[in-house]
Amino acid sequence: MTSERKIRANRANARASTGPKTTQGRSHAARNALRHALSLSVSFDPALAAEVEKLTRKIIGTNADAEMQELARHLAETQIDLRRVRSARHQLLSQALSDPDYESEAMHRKKAALAIRILRRFDSRTPMPDNVMEVLNSKPEGPYKFATILADKTRQLLALDRYERRALSRRKFAIRAFDTARR
Amino acid sequence: MSKRACSKANSKTKSNISPLAKVQGLTLFGSPQLLLHGEDAAAYDELLGRVCAAIKPVDIIDEMFIADVVSLEWEVLRWRRLKSSLMRALAIKSLEEFLSENLDYDQYRKFFEEDLAEILQETLEDQTKDAPQTLAHQCAENERDAVDKVNQIFANTYLSMDNIREGASARKAKELAQDYAQRKPSSINLIHKLLASVGSSIDTLMAKALAEDLDSIERIDHLTTIAETRRNAMLREIDRRRAALSEVLRRQVQEVEAEFEVIEKTPAETKSAA
Repeated sequence: MTSERKIRANRANARASTGPKTTQGRSHAARNALRHALSLSVSFDPALAAEVEKLTRKIIGTNADAEMQELARHLAETQIDLRRVRSARHQLLSQALSDPDYESEAMHRKKAALAIRILRRFDSRTPMPDNVMEVLNSKPEGPYKFATILADKTRQLLALDRYERRALSRRKFAIRAFDTARR
Repeated sequence: MSKRACSKANSKTKSNISPLAKVQGLTLFGSPQLLLHGEDAAAYDELLGRVCAAIKPVDIIDEMFIADVVSLEWEVLRWRRLKSSLMRALAIKSLEEFLSENLDYDQYRKFFEEDLAEILQETLEDQTKDAPQTLAHQCAENERDAVDKVNQIFANTYLSMDNIREGASARKAKELAQDYAQRKPSSINLIHKLLASVGSSIDTLMAKALAEDLDSIERIDHLTTIAETRRNAMLREIDRRRAALSEVLRRQVQEVEAEFEVIEKTPAETKSAA
């Protein structure tokens, strides 16, 4: 069992450490658990909220009654949400593909191990053998690069796929509700 | 509105898209054109135009569906293309590996001689220009004195004749595999002969290559299936909306016709009554 003295010390230490103090530190810490923010509603983002309003006007105009306006707004929200998910997925793949030095973590480790093995075997002044240099300088290219990226990003892609599935489903029902009300 | 959007896509009048939208990758229907590095924007526009012309959107919701259908179809094509190029690359790699293990020394001796001469040129800096080449040639011809001399030069370095031989064999294998991919008859004949000599075939190599990277192929197949399923679901939704819309239109027409009949009957009835 934890002693009374230890509990007091823990509490004192905890009071002394109250997290980040600067505004920059606090704002950084506030984003610690934030990955892609796709679970947040689009209305939380002012830029997206403006897009929702714009799309709502495109769908229903400005003269419709309040109920139709609300249904159109809901539909616009689901559409913008879907776009947001797809953009996140696109960005994930696009960033990796446009990186000319893209390499998987596993391959980085393999190369480092190979370089260490060679350096241990030979004098450090001896140049690395050409075939070793070739392996160390090699990078996945063409279809291999894309396949490597897909393998590395499987988890993120699966998560984004779940978001997209939900967004599609929400939009489908929003469209159906809108169409039914319009008739 | 939908007509305007469709004509935009058909005529590919990109001037209708604002410069900012172009920078942001925005296209018609307010949906971003989600192209990856190296993909053809013009081909995407053409696909959009064709789908648009076929579906003929009647409102902005139809336009949303069209944008989705195009985007998903593009994705299906992307994954199919990737799968086919990955399979081709795997087959060539497998062929290269087979060749580098099975080529006769005579088939890559020239490469060995070239590589050895180049290395000796760098190693024996104080020699005359021809000496390394002569030594490499003698070594490639397997002359004992020359081989001993080269082994002596390579002692205490990471270099060895076997490594250079392996490198030359791999280089020749790569060249032959590329020629095979370009369907050069001489390479095809040589490769088929080599494969037959070990009781193998190009199909066996292909199967072996696929087995080694089956995970990647399966992953691509999975992505293709997802995109195809979603595209088909979009098309079903368009059908459902069209059916509902036509039902509403039919009812409207019937109502209008009924009203028309009533209007028409009234003067006739008046006449008959008179």
